[in-house]
Amino acid sequence: MPDNRRLLQYATMNNRRINYLSLAAFALVLAMFGNITNAANITAQKNEDSGLYSWVAESEGFSIELIQLLPDFIRAIYMSHGFPGTEVDEIAGYCVFGTIIKNTSQQQLDYDVANWYFTDKHGNNHPVKTKTQWLEQWRKAGVTFSWTLLPDKGTFYQGDWQQGFTTIKLPRDSEFSLTYKWSINNIEHTDTFEGLRCAPEQLSEQ
Amino acid sequence: MHLNNYLNNKFLSLSLLAIFSSLIALGAYAAWDVQPKLGYNLTPLPRPIPAPGFTLEDMDEENHSLKDFHGKVVLLNFWATWCPPCRREMPSMERLYQKLNGENFTVIAINQMEDGDHVFAYTGQLEVDPTFTILFDKDSKVSNSYRVSGLPTTYLIDKQGNIRYRAIGGREFDHPEVEKQIMQLMQE
Repeated sequence: MPDNRRLLQYATMNNRRINYLSLAAFALVLAMFGNITNAANITAQKNEDSGLYSWVAESEGFSIELIQLLPDFIRAIYMSHGFPGTEVDEIAGYCVFGTIIKNTSQQQLDYDVANWYFTDKHGNNHPVKTKTQWLEQWRKAGVTFSWTLLPDKGTFYQGDWQQGFTTIKLPRDSEFSLTYKWSINNIEHTDTFEGLRCAPEQLSEQ
Repeated sequence: MHLNNYLNNKFLSLSLLAIFSSLIALGAYAAWDVQPKLGYNLTPLPRPIPAPGFTLEDMDEENHSLKDFHGKVVLLNFWATWCPPCRREMPSMERLYQKLNGENFTVIAINQMEDGDHVFAYTGQLEVDPTFTILFDKDSKVSNSYRVSGLPTTYLIDKQGNIRYRAIGGREFDHPEVEKQIMQLMQE
């Protein structure tokens, strides 16, 4: 029995050693190639003229701004570009945000919206519908217009920025968070934009 | 039938105008139109890339080809009237053009999927009417050949027809740093 106890002690020590080594190796790999979770500096602003909200999250090397847009505004945009009514209604049924993303670093930045997701108030994660997915759908409906949406992927250098619509499939006034990812020199960063809210169907009379 | 189409189109146009007017009155558009300060960085490409050739019509339906501008430094800008940063950077492009236009430099703005009437109405509202070349890429084939994924995107093409610099997003093109980069290409 004492042998067994010694064996157990040895095994535990070895396990600990292996665990410490694994942790150290993991930390090293994370630092070299891994994902860094940032803590964004978030500011919210209400547009006094429109009553709509916008939020800016400043993370390491990356800035993202989301601006609430009214469904009627989205309808007007796509109607003016000759979209069929069904497609206009579909995108206006999403929670659409004007989105401005910026490379605030001095280095190469890459992003891919396919890696982003939003979390609803029940804690369920959902992928963000990408521009490529919208374009595929529109192409089948005979639409060739390919602008207005935030490009799926991008490589930004110093000073580059981009804007376009981001679509979130949630009802009006829903609260949610958006988790977004970007890379600077192949090091992936992740951040979560908390406290976001979809625009209402229309602005209430004041 | 024609009258019906005309009335339907007119009704649609008036409805859209009414919707846009209401939204603008509400400030909903203004919220989206608020933009970050424009920078001036143009990114040098690691190596020059031959600029894809094109032939497109201008406002008077006259054709222009990129090869017509061979021997000049070309600031090639992809834009649309509905794109807020495109509208913001346009006056700086005109100022730059006024300052450097001549034998060795020109500005070409390639509009995406809009028509001459629409652009004419837009430029008429500007404080200074653009005098540089505006061309129409009605099916976005040219922007696709330049792999433009968002507007505005701008390229600086050297006298040999190679892309040397790129900028994604709006810029102040008459900033001294941009002028310096253009002057260097002009002197090559």
